[in-house]
Parts: sequence; C-alpha cells; structure tokens
Amino acid sequence: MSEIFSFATLRRLVDQWITEGRHVAGPRLVNDRLLYGWLESAGQLTLDGEARPRNSIKEFLFPRHEKLYGYKLGRKRVELTEVAPLVDEQIVIAARPCDAALGPILDHVFNWDYADATYNRRRELTTLVTLACQSYDAQCFCTSVGSGPDDPRGSDVMLYALDEGILEIRCLTEKGRRLFAGQTEPSDLEAQVGAGPEIRFDLDKVGEFLEGGFEDAQWPEMARRCLGCGACAYTCPTCHCFDIVDEGAGGQGVRARNWDACQFGMFTLHAAGHNPRSQQAQRQRQRIYHKFRVYPQKFGTLLCTGCGNCTRNCPVGLGVRPVLSAISRSSTK
Amino acid sequence: MNANIYQPDLMEVVQVRQQTADVKSVRIRFRDEERARAFSFRVGQFGIFSAFGAGESPFNLCSSSNWQDFIEFCFRRTGRVTEALWNIDEGDIVGFRGPYGNAYPMDKWRGKNLIFIGGGIAMPPIRCAIWYALENRDQYGQITIVYGARKVGDLVFQNELDRWAEYDNVRVVTCVDPGGESPDWKGEIGFVPTVVQQADISAENAVALVIGPPIMIQFTLPVLSKIGLGDSDIYTSLENRMKCGVGKCGRCNCGPAYVCKEGPVFTLEQIKKLPKDF
Amino acid sequence: MIETLRDTCRQLLRDGKVDVIIGYGQDPVGQAFSPSDVAQAFSPSDVARASSPCSSTQARCPGSDADGPVFPVFIQRPEDVDQLVWNNRCYANLSVYLKRPEIRALGRPAVVVKGCDQRALVVLEKESQLDRSQVHVIGMACDSMNRPKCETCDVHEPRGTDVVIGKAASNTNAISADQRYSAINAFLARSSSERLAYWRQELARCVKCYACRQVCPMCYCPRCIVDKNRPQVISTSATLKGNFAWHITRAFHLAARCVGCEECTRVCPMGIDLRLLNLSLAQAAEENFAFRAGDDPQAEPVVGSYALQDKESFIQ
Repeated sequence: MSEIFSFATLRRLVDQWITEGRHVAGPRLVNDRLLYGWLESAGQLTLDGEARPRNSIKEFLFPRHEKLYGYKLGRKRVELTEVAPLVDEQIVIAARPCDAALGPILDHVFNWDYADATYNRRRELTTLVTLACQSYDAQCFCTSVGSGPDDPRGSDVMLYALDEGILEIRCLTEKGRRLFAGQTEPSDLEAQVGAGPEIRFDLDKVGEFLEGGFEDAQWPEMARRCLGCGACAYTCPTCHCFDIVDEGAGGQGVRARNWDACQFGMFTLHAAGHNPRSQQAQRQRQRIYHKFRVYPQKFGTLLCTGCGNCTRNCPVGLGVRPVLSAISRSSTK
Repeated sequence: MNANIYQPDLMEVVQVRQQTADVKSVRIRFRDEERARAFSFRVGQFGIFSAFGAGESPFNLCSSSNWQDFIEFCFRRTGRVTEALWNIDEGDIVGFRGPYGNAYPMDKWRGKNLIFIGGGIAMPPIRCAIWYALENRDQYGQITIVYGARKVGDLVFQNELDRWAEYDNVRVVTCVDPGGESPDWKGEIGFVPTVVQQADISAENAVALVIGPPIMIQFTLPVLSKIGLGDSDIYTSLENRMKCGVGKCGRCNCGPAYVCKEGPVFTLEQIKKLPKDF
Repeated sequence: MIETLRDTCRQLLRDGKVDVIIGYGQDPVGQAFSPSDVAQAFSPSDVARASSPCSSTQARCPGSDADGPVFPVFIQRPEDVDQLVWNNRCYANLSVYLKRPEIRALGRPAVVVKGCDQRALVVLEKESQLDRSQVHVIGMACDSMNRPKCETCDVHEPRGTDVVIGKAASNTNAISADQRYSAINAFLARSSSERLAYWRQELARCVKCYACRQVCPMCYCPRCIVDKNRPQVISTSATLKGNFAWHITRAFHLAARCVGCEECTRVCPMGIDLRLLNLSLAQAAEENFAFRAGDDPQAEPVVGSYALQDKESFIQ
C-alpha cells in the first residue's frame, strides 16, 4: 500500500501555505531557465522540464548574504545589535534529492565544536519536500557518488510522480507527516524508481589517486581551461565557503557573511602579498580535494551530491565530473 | 546553544604602542567584567580582532597567558582592517573573538631547553611563549632567542629584548640583514639561518619554535635539523588567511587541516605531511 | 571546413610557427581516450561518451552524446589536432585565454575565432593588451551559433585574421543600427518604472559568481575594482544594492569597449540578460561617436581618446 495525492492538491496546499505566511520555495521558470526561488503562488511551481534547476536550495539554508549582527559606532563607544531571531517556517517543495542531501552533509562543518546557530535554526525551520528524479541529463552523476534518484538524505518527504497528475508520497520524518496529514489517500499504485544516471567514474580509483596525487602533473592540464569564476561553487549544494564583511556608512552598519569561492584568486591571498594558491590549477585541485578527500576524512561524508551543477554552469564545461572522470580513467592502469 | 559564534566581545583599548614604522601593538581588556574573569587562553592561540566598519583579522595573542589585566595583539599596517586598527587610540573599542586554535605545548616543553627563532613581524607570536617560559623560569632549561629583521627599525618589542637577556640562563641573539644595521647596532649582521648556524646552539634536550617569513623558515629548518633537532621537536605557527576562526568558512583549509582549528601550531613532522599549500 | 582547420593547425604546429592552438574541442563519439589523452584533450563528457549516459529505460537525456558541450582545448602536438571541432555550439570567445598566465606559459598561441570574437582582438590591441604579431589568428566563417547576437551579425567572415577558413552561406549584409539595437530599443520603449522593476527583479538573482567578468576578454584588470577594498567602492555582497553597483559599474567600464560577444549573458548561471546593459552603452557610443568597439582597427577608442568636437566640455 502507498499514499498518493494529486498535483492539484499539491498546488492547493502550496497556495494555502503561502496564504498562511509560510515561505515556500521551489523550482520555477525564470527567463526559460529552471531556478529555485521563492514562490508567490503555486502556479509558478514547475515540476517538469529540465533535469534539475541550475541553482541549488543552499540559498534557503545558507543564504548568499546573511547579516551576523549590526554595529553602531559612537565616540569611544560601540553598540552591537543582534539580528532578529528567525521564526518563519519555510518549505522547499520539489527539491531534488541531490539538493536535499546538503543538510546532513553541511551539518557536520557547521557544528564541529562551534555550533552555527543561524544555520541550525534555518534547518529546524525548513521542511524539505523532495521530488524523486525520473530524468537525468548528461551532467547528472549522483550514482557515481553513492547517491541516487530517491536518496532520502535530508528529505522530510519524498514525492514520486506517477502518471495522470498523481504523486506518490512517502513521509520520512514527523515534520513531513505533519505537513501532509489528511491530504493523501491510500492506493495500490507504487512508483518505480529508475536506476539513475549511469556510473560516470570509479570513486574508489578517485580516492586512490587523491591519496598521493596532490603533486600529480595532470592538475595543470586538467584545470587549464578554468577561467576562475565561482559559478561552480555558487550553484553547488555543498560548497559553503564564506567571507565576512562589514557593510555600512555613517557610523553604522552590519557585519555579514557572503558566499565565497576557492576558485577566486583572492581567496587565499595574504595581506602581505603571499598567495599559497596563486595558480588556477591549485585552486581547482583544492576544490576537488576538499570535496573528495578532506571532507570525507574529517566528517565521513563526501562534499558532493552528484548534482552536476558545477559542469552545467561552467562557462567552459569543467566541474567535478570531468575532472574525476579523467582521474578515474588515468588510474586505470 | 543559541549563542552567535561570530559576535565578538567588545574590548577597550588600554594601550597602543608603535613598534616600528608600520607595526603597532595594542593592549585591550574586556568591557564586561564577568567575561574578563571567565576568559583564559594558552600561549600560541589566536583571536579574531575587529575594527568595526572595516572588518576582522586574525592575530596571535602575543601577551603571556599569565597576564590578567589585558590581552595584547600586534599587527602590521597592510590592509583595510589593519589600516583602521592603526588609527585607534586608548579608550577606543575594538572587537575580539577567541581564543581560537591550538597552543604551544608548554607543559610538554617542561624541563627542556627552548630555542626561539623569529623573523620580523613574527616576534609577537614567539614573545608570548618567551614571557610564559620566563615567568615559569624554573620549569624550563636554557633559553636561546634568535631574532632577526631586515633593519634595526623593523625589530619589534626591542625594549623587551634586553629584559629577557637579564634572566638567568637566557641568551638573546639579535641580527639584521646586511645593510640594515644602524651606527650603534651591537647585534649580529646577517640572515637568520646563518646566524642560527653560527650561534653554536645545542640541540640536546631542546625544542625549537620558528616563526617568520616563509623564506626564513625554509632556510632555517635545515640548519636546525643539522644541529640535531628532530622534526617533532621543531614547531612553527602557520599564518593562513582566515575569516571565521572556527572551522567553518573553509579559507584556511590546507590538506587535511583546518589551520584555525587543528593549527596554527604544527611540528615540522606534521608540516611535512601537509600538502605544499600554505 | 573542419579538415581545413585541422590541416592549418597541424601545419602551424609542425612548422613551429606556434606552440599552442586555442580551439574548440568536443568528445569525438566512439573514440576511447587513453590516459595520456587526458593531458591533451581533457573532456567534460568523456565517460558519457564511452558509455552512453542514457540507458534506454530513461525517458530523456538532453545534452548528451552529440549534444555534449563544446569546450576550449589547448593543442600542443600536431598529432592532436583531430581533437579540434567546429560546429554550431562553438560559443566561447577564446580570445579570453590570451591574457591568462596558464595559457601564456604554453608559448606562442594561435587562436580560433569567429567574426564576433575577432573584434575583441581589435580592442585588446588598441588598448595595448595584445601584440598582434605574436598571435596567429585563425578566423572561422560562421553562419550562426544560434545566439541572440547572431541575428544581427555582420561579420560572418572574420576580418583581420591571418587566415579565414570556410565561406559563410549568410551574406555579410549590412545590418542597420535599428536592427542591431532592436532588443534595447524594445526595452527602452517600456516606462522607466517598468525598467527599474525589471532590473530589480533580474539583478536580485545575481549571486556574484563573477562568471560574467571571468569570461570577458575586456576584463583584464589584474585587480578588479570590486576586489579592491581600500576604499571599498563596490559592495561585495550579492544584495540588490551590491549587485546594482557591480553590474552598472561593469557596464560603464565596458562602454565603447564591449564588442558584443555576449559571453557574459551566455554563462550567467542565474540567466540574467546582461546583454541589455552592454547594448545600451554600445548604442550610446555608436549614436554619439559613430563608434563601434572592435569594428575599425584604425578608429581611436572613444574612452581612450579626446576630440575637440566631443560634446562634453568637462575635459576641456
């Protein structure tokens, strides 16, 4: 037995949530491009089309710009003001599994020793309603990193599209159950989950290569066409590096954190001029190492969900998968 | 835990001292008495210091952890934050978060001879350990301090060098690069690695703390190895660019280490295992 | 055409006239890569090619196989020129690589350009960023890459190149200014409040990944103004304010310099139509100074020169 409900019900619920004042985000078409964004009405919610949005739901849990506190300067005086506590519930609807997994992955770094209260609060306030994948594009590689089309990590609810505008719903957490209580009906329809995209590279071989491959002569070749922008990092569900800046004028302002990216030349530039990663190849290498060696060794999980957004958004078709495919292939000896 | 880990304590500036043409040291104390009482740190740790309106920067806590009334940091005027800090006066307010990172293993060093080698602006992170050792003089053996700078005017905490030399069993060797001497210069003339080599330092029962510009470290380490110090007896402090200080922002990551948490203090043995990425 | 391109490049490398060809590559269908190929033709959908990414059970798989992305390649050996491709997805303006230290390190380059890309070389040379004698420029006749800019293209056959390969089927017709600026004219026909609302909505999405800047052949400053913080002129935050400051500043820095390759627009992950900003300033340059960036190698750059008949008096 399964539980089902219709697209129409989902749309009605989304409108209801929005009316109730909850923030609802989901995939919507913007200039013919599928992007996650806040929904003003259920009509904007787009469940078909491209394999996945070109950005990630990271924005809703770890915003690109976030005030940490305010400051007000006086004569021999500084006053700090806390930001208003987060109270609004938010629902992300039709997230892809490769997005939803970011929570359990990033929880580690945001909580070792020092707990990042705002991040944790946003996690608590967010209900993730995930749409299992039925289609993939050439950049999807979730199955190569141990994930798949209905990986439950991070999701409160998993939706599966059946025929005729019907969705099968599997509530995975209490939070998810509460959201859809009384809205579904029992059925004997059950979704068939595909195998997902084919395996694109051998993760074990990648691991072996990275163990001793830091100085490998291939890095400059592999990174050669990288132009050093942050499109990969900023559309990645798991890239979480940030900068802390002061913004203000006239003696008051805010201290805020902004997304930052290890591909930028300034990322590691010392004030005195020394730059440990002065070349683009070193920056590319760092991105791969951080995701596939440093993070897993430290926190027991890859810093990659296989969404493929890095390559999808790369101006020159680079990103994680091309690099790992090459590594995987070069290790085949 | 709902505390905002990024929000600093407000600190009152109690003393500003200009050390060189572009280096100042600043003493600050907590405005909140309770925070002041609760605060403690270990020498070698660092803090994130704010000039509100300009931003934050990490600096070593260069005072001894035995000092109760204030903590001290030292900076060179190079960027936006240090430019703003340069302009602060006594009574002004700065921000402080910390202490962060690991520390020098002062307990482990008990009973050892200590060799401190510093270059230029890297004296402050050594100075805290020197004072700590001097304040617990009976716990440590012979102390050798080699401190060099490009020119005489670049030596920081100059007034303290003589005071250190007055302690029993302490040897202070200062040097400046050739051409950097002043007419009344009484120290050595030469580069730090050469001066260390010629200083007849014994490696017996010794540990060394070496902090300075990458080039100085690079050439000093072989000298120390040559006189017989093992890789696990040579310590340094990495100065990666940092933002958060609490292992989140990713900036200071170097191979397996988040320098702000697993560092900044590493032994040469550990450094050799890190990728050349710092 | 592709064979002529490969022959040309093979010969250039064999004769030692250049050290590296900056061209377009793609995954040659069915051809297995050996490990040593990795270094030569590092490709994004290599595995996808080797083992089809779409199993028959899957409903759709756009963008794979024949649709695989075309990407820049750097060919250093005559025997590798077969990795070069030429098709209607050769979007990138490869002239951007001429400034990159990683590519400069490879030696004397030959660069494959379309007519639109070549205009960037004209500006770069005028701005002393390029020694034209040190670059071998291979022009490719191009009918269309199916981008918005292609609708008003008047350089189907590149000018000022060392060689032009192929013949364009499309005539290099004269395109009127009205045609060239139809998109911006249509936009400007809207009320100013509508236009402001549009930009507020569009620029709100900008995440400040700087892909627009990094792909731009004209953005060659060693340290971009947005990366300068003493003083901090432009907020680095991806807020509406910071984003307006960034995009407007960048547009002005490109005034009468942008050659309209529209790479910024193509690569924006958030789908912001940056082209409108650039078109607006290009139009201003053409209307006021009869100048089009990259059009005439003899013309003095508008921003870098001064004439007595200039309208503004502030400089006199």
